[in-house]
Amino acid sequence: MTLHPSRSVASATCKALRRYNASAQSVACRLGQPVRQLSTSLARNSEAAEAVESATEQQVRPRWSYTPERMKGPGFSINVVKDRSRTVWHNNEDPAKLDAMYNRLLGSKGDRMLPDEIKWLAITHKSFDQGRRGFNTRLAYFGRLIVSLETTRHIIVAPVTARDPPRDPFGREPFQHSALANIDKLNTRQPIDVVSKEKLAKLAVDVGLPEVVRWKPRMPENLDASGMTVVLNTALFAIIGAISLQHGAEVAQQVVREKILRRLGA
Amino acid sequence: MKRLRVDRWTGQLLLARPGACPASTPRTALRPAAASRCAAVRTRSTRAMPEIPTDEDYADGTDHTRFPPLEKLPPRATSLPSPPPERALQSAKLAALHARLSLPEKLPLQTLARALVDNSADENPLFNNTNLAFVGQSLIHYHVAEWLMCRYPRLPMEILYAAMKGYAGPAALHHVARSWGLEHAAAPGGEVDPGLLQFSLHKPGNAIVTLGYKRAEAEGLQKYKWRHGISSRVVFDDDFGQVVETDKATQLRRADTEYGNEYTRSLAEKAYANCARAVVGAIYAHAGREPAKAFIRSHILSRTLDLSALFSFKKPTRELALLCAREDFEFPIARLLSETGRLSRTPVFVVGIFSGKDKLGEAAGPSLEVARNKAAMNALKSWYLYSPGEHVRVPSDMLAEDAQPWTPAYIDMGEIIGR
Repeated sequence: MTLHPSRSVASATCKALRRYNASAQSVACRLGQPVRQLSTSLARNSEAAEAVESATEQQVRPRWSYTPERMKGPGFSINVVKDRSRTVWHNNEDPAKLDAMYNRLLGSKGDRMLPDEIKWLAITHKSFDQGRRGFNTRLAYFGRLIVSLETTRHIIVAPVTARDPPRDPFGREPFQHSALANIDKLNTRQPIDVVSKEKLAKLAVDVGLPEVVRWKPRMPENLDASGMTVVLNTALFAIIGAISLQHGAEVAQQVVREKILRRLGA
Repeated sequence: MKRLRVDRWTGQLLLARPGACPASTPRTALRPAAASRCAAVRTRSTRAMPEIPTDEDYADGTDHTRFPPLEKLPPRATSLPSPPPERALQSAKLAALHARLSLPEKLPLQTLARALVDNSADENPLFNNTNLAFVGQSLIHYHVAEWLMCRYPRLPMEILYAAMKGYAGPAALHHVARSWGLEHAAAPGGEVDPGLLQFSLHKPGNAIVTLGYKRAEAEGLQKYKWRHGISSRVVFDDDFGQVVETDKATQLRRADTEYGNEYTRSLAEKAYANCARAVVGAIYAHAGREPAKAFIRSHILSRTLDLSALFSFKKPTRELALLCAREDFEFPIARLLSETGRLSRTPVFVVGIFSGKDKLGEAAGPSLEVARNKAAMNALKSWYLYSPGEHVRVPSDMLAEDAQPWTPAYIDMGEIIGR
């Protein structure tokens, strides 16, 4: 560590321990790093309390906006890349642009449906910043299950023009019941055709997601081959998953029906 | 024994049989009708044979004089792929299964019979359980996932996939269905008891279509066992993070085998799992959302799965250091808490990992290195297995009419990428 070249970190730590029998806060303050304790017990002495206050004053910027300092490497890389231009990729950092996208997707006041950190987390792919600022994979997994179930329900509930069922080769008549007639609508329409990844990617493009998702494409000159479709789908699913965890299943179902299925023409 | 060919008899002989023209009924009312019926039979007999079932229609390979059939089967039952729906009302096994599972009254026996017919037994989707199983699978996966997301909000993605498989995977649902006392027929056919699970050991049948796509690198994945990325599994793979098999050729690899082997066991497992899903789908179709959710909670989510045994770390000390760096905790330092027998054959070292004054994890091991790694693993597990509590609310609780206002669930930012 090269923060204080005149004295080593170890001696600084020992001095601090000897003089104050100190808590972590004052040590970190001398080293210039903000630190928070795992335990939530109150600080024991006044010096530690002052250290905590100054530390929190420094830490005003939100977590989505910066990489934790201590997770950063030495600042250079000895890896030889094939094409240096592929390492350059800029993502959106403007909260206003993100809010505008949420308003387009979720309707007016869509940007107030989720807290700030979750809004950014839902559109952050795992390839962004080496995954150090979190990613939306778990939210997207849950979101896909929500979309799948809601699409199945939508198919089952939607009225369909009764057409003659295919003749059974053995000449049998199936057991008739309105509930089973609903379930058998899945013979003609299946969720994978209603919410295919191509259709969802197109919806994402219409809403302006590509300008807002945070990711790192392998080939910035060819985004489709870099997996743009997958990233857009993941972001959409993650937004749905986040809404479900933030507001409950009723609101999430409504959002899927009105903002996704209706726009896909289902 | 020489079989009598009834279809060779002429119409007149048939007419002469007692009961052909009712004589006991009032003559005034029925004489014209009886006359017309007899006349109709008489005229029809010159043109075509009436459909009177022969003994061949009831043949099922057994000797009926030595072993009289227990119930009267419909004609040509053995040629049908699955029992006709009417037979469901006469099956004792089916009624017993219905009662044993305390299924709602609204669920008719005919639907339960349909839930026991696999698509390898009967290809017609109106007679097999494919659609019911699809609906049941969507419900089961959703409810298990929301329970895991709310109960263990920090679970890493790989562990989440493994936990989903442990609760709702084919092996788990196979055990659930077997625990219901469900038995299977040796071979499917129209003459089997409708209360038996019917599937074929000779052909695999179609898989249920789930959300998932064939990857562009699918051949390489299979041939060279490449590792498919975890975050792309959300879009491409099925709900357990496994590659979706789209070609049937791989499924028809094995030839017919007479005795049980790994392949036939996997077919049986798939059939039992689909049956369990189909029962859930049937409950949802007839009784609605709440009974289906209650069924899933009592049969699937009530099972115990030790999530801490699913973890496997590559470099736990490095992962813990990165976690502390991300969360702005003090750098983790391992300290020896106690030891015994250092120079003996079986030493025990108890190591604790501290972040400042807080102990993150502790473990005992036979050497300092092992104890430190175990302590780091315990610390990471205590982070990833954090739970807000056992009786945590899930989002689908809000679908009930009298639901309390929802408090937002804790959403974690993601795991440390340990590789």
